Amino acid sequence: MMVDPLSILNAIISGILIGSVYSLVAMGLSLIWGIMDIINFAQGDYMMLGAFITYWMLVLAGIDPLISVIISFAIIFGVGILTQALVIDRIIDAPFVSQVVSTFAILLIIRYGSETVFGPYTRRVETWYTGITYNIMGIILPLPEIIAFIISILVTLILYIFLNKTYVGIAMQAVSQNRDAAAILGINIKRMYWFAFGIGVGITAIAGTLLSTFYPIYPEMGAFFTFLAFIIVVFGGFGSIFGSYVAGLIIGISETVSALFILPTWKDVIAFLIFVIIILFRPTGLFGVKASS
Amino acid sequence: MMRLKSILVEFRGTKGYLIIGISLVLILLPILFMTLDLPFPANVLFLCLLYSIMAMAWNLLFGYCGQFSLGHSIFFGLGAYTTMIGMLYYNLTPWIGIFVGGFIAALSGLGLGVILFRLRSHWFALASMAIQEMFLLLFIPWTWVGGSAGLQAPIVSPDKALYFAQYAGPYLYIYIALGILAIELIIFYIIVNSKWGYYFQAIREDEDAAKSLGINPFKYKMVAMFFSALFTGIAGGIYVIRFRFIDPFVAFNLITIAVYILVAAIIGGVYSFIGPIVGSFIFMPITEYVRVYIVSRFPRYYGLQVFSIGLVVLIISLIAPEGVMGLLEKRGIVRRRLAIPITLSNKEVVEGG
Repeated sequence: MMVDPLSILNAIISGILIGSVYSLVAMGLSLIWGIMDIINFAQGDYMMLGAFITYWMLVLAGIDPLISVIISFAIIFGVGILTQALVIDRIIDAPFVSQVVSTFAILLIIRYGSETVFGPYTRRVETWYTGITYNIMGIILPLPEIIAFIISILVTLILYIFLNKTYVGIAMQAVSQNRDAAAILGINIKRMYWFAFGIGVGITAIAGTLLSTFYPIYPEMGAFFTFLAFIIVVFGGFGSIFGSYVAGLIIGISETVSALFILPTWKDVIAFLIFVIIILFRPTGLFGVKASS
Repeated sequence: MMRLKSILVEFRGTKGYLIIGISLVLILLPILFMTLDLPFPANVLFLCLLYSIMAMAWNLLFGYCGQFSLGHSIFFGLGAYTTMIGMLYYNLTPWIGIFVGGFIAALSGLGLGVILFRLRSHWFALASMAIQEMFLLLFIPWTWVGGSAGLQAPIVSPDKALYFAQYAGPYLYIYIALGILAIELIIFYIIVNSKWGYYFQAIREDEDAAKSLGINPFKYKMVAMFFSALFTGIAGGIYVIRFRFIDPFVAFNLITIAVYILVAAIIGGVYSFIGPIVGSFIFMPITEYVRVYIVSRFPRYYGLQVFSIGLVVLIISLIAPEGVMGLLEKRGIVRRRLAIPITLSNKEVVEGG
């Protein structure tokens, strides 16, 4: 199959645009994983909730997705703290099996609870900028994806500053390095865990909001994005914001470029294959800071 | 011979009578259902036995060996497809076909083991789930195995009915599942009471410590995987005999196969030999009742069923992670046979952090 350079360039650009949204999902997963050593199987489903909050905000109250970024972060931040208080706090020291089973149960509850409430239908978010594209010398730039790209860069920067410059962020990192020492130094461990889980799923919800402006939303959409987030986290290394971001872009580009060459059915097969190969051969990731046990 | 004798001694007294009693009830129930013409309870009993087979198989890998698989529908699907294809394309009787299917599932289990047993804990779970998704995506466009429409075995003439194991109603299939479950129980009982069983538990507790004692974790995980995949594959074959139909969404379904199995095992108790069977007999009747009488009437609310399963699993994993059998053991009603894992009450201490 012949593919001209322009369409490859277009694929790379659209890969970068969507990849930056992917990396937000992964950052949430990475944050929770790095700080609490909890593997959140339900990460993609919190993202789905964010997308649905955006949808209902628009349909019921006419609130633009750009404003719902904050609303869906706030709501899912609360949901995350609730999850942490009700479930994760109890299993934080449990054997890994209880942790996997519990977060998997959360996945079932969120995904199929939403399917019960919203129905198994596919919806689209229609805003004033839906479908607007700019064509600059053959390079196609869809406006919703550009907005999503810009916001995701902003969120990444804010998260970086939060983690490295604020008291809570630094305290959270201290907890992840040595919990007992952090407790002795007067850090409220439980509070930090609440923040970590809330922010971790909140960021993912922002990704859901951004994604909903150009991607169909349905209750089971989280499944694919959970896998994607795991791929990105593994690729980028644990607890590394920068690593997650770059890995997200790489995964996004590889997805859009490979779509030029292979059938859509095989695209997902290859994504899963890459996932398995990566976790087999590169368990610490490209920019890994610490190995997982 | 001595060991066999010592195993048989265990079954003298109450335990032996209980087993004979339960077996008799299970053998007589289908006849009762048939005479009274009750297809729904017969169907439920069949599914209880089918999921007992799979949950037992899953738990050999998890409860004993500590490997949390989310990909057991791969083995179910391969067993089911092999049996079906044997019947349709090669005129192979399913009486042999289910064992061929089980064997192919077991071989693929070994193949997966070579790849996946390099991984530990959650990585194993995730990778097995990813590979199961790959199987689903590969079978959907594959026309030789019927593609997304699936394969349907035609109803044969009465003189061939025995050869293709086709009977009227759901009643006689129960005996097939019962027979396989009995074989599985005997084989697993011998395995877990042999040295292997203790090796498995050592690997579950601490793979590195087991290694330092001269146990090869990879080898024994492969052994557990072989038997686990074998019986899950046979269960897939039984499913095909009973329903004469298979498609990729039934075969490689994350929820109705992989998740149901682990939910049944967790409800019953994963650190108990018969826990998965107890769990299947609790879980399947409820979920079948909900499916047949509630969900089929309101298909829009399919999610509600899985939602409540999630809720039940969450509650169990939070308040009683040892399941029903674990609770009975705690109360002293049932004697504990299998070591409960040393719960790591503080990860930091263990990791030396």
